[in-house]
Amino acid sequence: MIGTFFFLVFHSWKNRLLMRVRRLKQPKYLVGGIFGGLYFCWVYGVQFFSGTRHFRGSGIPGISSPEMAAWVETIGAAVLALMALTTWIFGNDRAALVFSEAEVAFLFPAPVSRRNLIHFKLLKAQLAILLMIFFLTIFFGRIQGGASAWARALGWWVVLCALTLHGLGASFARSALLDRGFSSWKRRLLILFLLVAVVGSTAWWEMQSLPPIKAGSLSLEDVKLYTGRILDSGPLPYLLFPFRLLVRPRLAPDIPGFLLALGPALGILFLLYLWVIKSNVAFEEASVDASRQMADRVAAFRANRGRMPSGPAKKKRAPFELRPVGFPLVGVFWKNLIGAGQIFTLRFWVIIAAMTIPAGIAMTATVKTAGVAALLQPFVLMLVGLSFVVGPQLVRQDFRRDLPMADVLKTYPLRGWQVALGELLAPVVILTGVQWLGLILCACLPAPFGEHGISFLTRCAFALGLAVIAPGLNFVTLMIPNAAVLLFPGWFQTGKDATQGIEATGQRIIFSIGQMLALAIALVPAVAVFAAAYFLLRLVLGPILPVPIAAALVAVVLGVEAWFGLQWLGRVFERLDLSLESGA
Amino acid sequence: MIEVVGLTKLYGDFVAVSELSLAVQPGQVLGLVGPNGAGKTTSLRCLAGIIPPTRGSVRICGHDLQTDPIPAKQQLAFFTDEPRLFEYLTVEQHLAFTARIYQVANYRDLARPLLEELEIADKADKLPGELSRGMKQKLVIACGLLHSPRVIFFDEPLTGLDPIGIRRMKDSILKRARDGAAIIISSHLLHLLEEVCSHVLMVKNGRKILAGTLDEIRNKYAELGVMNLEEVFVHATGGADVPPRLNS
Repeated sequence: MIGTFFFLVFHSWKNRLLMRVRRLKQPKYLVGGIFGGLYFCWVYGVQFFSGTRHFRGSGIPGISSPEMAAWVETIGAAVLALMALTTWIFGNDRAALVFSEAEVAFLFPAPVSRRNLIHFKLLKAQLAILLMIFFLTIFFGRIQGGASAWARALGWWVVLCALTLHGLGASFARSALLDRGFSSWKRRLLILFLLVAVVGSTAWWEMQSLPPIKAGSLSLEDVKLYTGRILDSGPLPYLLFPFRLLVRPRLAPDIPGFLLALGPALGILFLLYLWVIKSNVAFEEASVDASRQMADRVAAFRANRGRMPSGPAKKKRAPFELRPVGFPLVGVFWKNLIGAGQIFTLRFWVIIAAMTIPAGIAMTATVKTAGVAALLQPFVLMLVGLSFVVGPQLVRQDFRRDLPMADVLKTYPLRGWQVALGELLAPVVILTGVQWLGLILCACLPAPFGEHGISFLTRCAFALGLAVIAPGLNFVTLMIPNAAVLLFPGWFQTGKDATQGIEATGQRIIFSIGQMLALAIALVPAVAVFAAAYFLLRLVLGPILPVPIAAALVAVVLGVEAWFGLQWLGRVFERLDLSLESGA
Repeated sequence: MIEVVGLTKLYGDFVAVSELSLAVQPGQVLGLVGPNGAGKTTSLRCLAGIIPPTRGSVRICGHDLQTDPIPAKQQLAFFTDEPRLFEYLTVEQHLAFTARIYQVANYRDLARPLLEELEIADKADKLPGELSRGMKQKLVIACGLLHSPRVIFFDEPLTGLDPIGIRRMKDSILKRARDGAAIIISSHLLHLLEEVCSHVLMVKNGRKILAGTLDEIRNKYAELGVMNLEEVFVHATGGADVPPRLNS
């Protein structure tokens, strides 16, 4: 049976890998793969293979000393013990091994024993463990030395296997306790009672033997001393002993030390394995539920473009009453504002403005708080500036969210540009609202440097100028990611067709570079117009007044760009055929 | 009402639909049938204006879908097998949104009886996530019928419905046809199509292989002893590969 499981796991991964390799025949995936591969080679590959030399060369002061090594080992054992303890306190009531829905469908009705199902689960867990080891070895390898990279990796394997086996065993034990009428609350109370008893007895022990802590003079050495003594005296050393054995191979300073530590650790692993395999607890029913929940979570994760959803969708108040007659595209705008959530209702922003602006003015007027207000201004200005760059990535109530609904949108009696305008309006309005609020605050708050700072009139002129430019600039900025979604839907596709892996990382890198480049090109005419208008008007109107006037001209330029962009985006949307991407 | 001439859809070298022509008049219900991969869904997606055809023309109520899409789309509704809804809009908000898109001024007067007919009137403030699949399907139908479309396309409309839901859906389709709508239904449930369709169009590998009224099609195969649409389908599309029918 184990051979069959190997076959299933091996071929699943092999086929997944082959599918990705075959997909590289398409240029967009190939280019993404090359960029992604280079990125991973640079960030991880080099670090992995050069890590050992780096640490052996420099070392970390103290880590090689026996005291420090013992202290690190004790802390590691304590962390491991704490992790093990949490599974007894917070773990699910019923043992539930999570399988994929396909595994449930094939393996559960098949003549496969419960023990073999556990073996399959452990086998599959090895893949996740190996991946985890890769990242942990690289990450911790940077800050901590030890044996070679391979020994460190094996050390991590021991720790992670122990945690996996213990997690399984604990879940079986919890189920068995429940079957014997020992409720979850009783179990938790018992664990907490034992914990309190251990902590209490240790504290009492330490109070008798350790010198009192001097307030205000606690150094790092003192902390080390106290934690070391607490963990090394009383009942804790005995409780932590098995955990020490498990972390010891990972912390071994050299290969002989590692081999010496490996034996006892493998012994504990074997005991844990026996505990798991000898448990005869029915987990199938809970597993089916857990597997379904996992499938739902994965679907929601993919639908959210790689972000975990905050929870099930909640009812949201409409931002305004939508009359049935009027510009149809307002309907799309209204829909997306609802999708943006309660935080983006007009009422919310009126309340925020009513609270922050008077507060800013009051702070400025009061001598005691004027200094704070002056410090706030550059911070708010920085946030406003950042919102032009980061905002379009955060506010995504547009084609990026509606791509799975593109087929439905295309049946509506709207021109492509109308759909595009409706889609882009919500994020534009949201971002502009945030920026306007920030700019009003910037104008109200005093500039830093006191009398030498920027005058109120100048602040107002610049704030007004930026406020005029903001909607057009947001429009142009948002058009770029939206165009990318429509031009390369395969890169943003959800569900089984979603791009994953190294090529997806590469595609994101290319996309980010492309976005910055496109934005720079779009801004060239606007900047040129501003510069020309400002320097001409400055000769007549002085230095301040031309700012909002030149900004108004820039807004016209951005508006023209946005208009042509919308027409183009509309045509792209009309030509969009998601079925072309399904084979990707 | 629906006029399709020489509709062709290519994906690279692959021919999804080839030179398809058809016409559906008001009150007619056309059953679009064919084996998997025959090009039924692609044809419907072209007819609904979701994907542009490579060649050919589609006219909806006299409006060319390519050159004059707005009035054409104003007259049509497309129902897919899987209910597609905006997860963050409630039932009521879906209707308000649809009314705005299709400019249905008196939508409240229309929506109420529609929701009651579909038995979801008490779910007005529910989100799609709180509805069962059948309820979602009903909401999609309510939204689709809100603007009283004169052309309706159904792609596997009976998928996932319980027997009562199937009967309601059949009644609803027949009612719209009686009211003068031109309807195309794509489905594999041939015995159900026989109950609602006046005409049948059979496609295979993107090409039309058979078309006519139900009686015309049955008569064509009558000499082979064929009595129903399923047998016609088997003979027309299966050829020699079809297993013989088991006698109970």
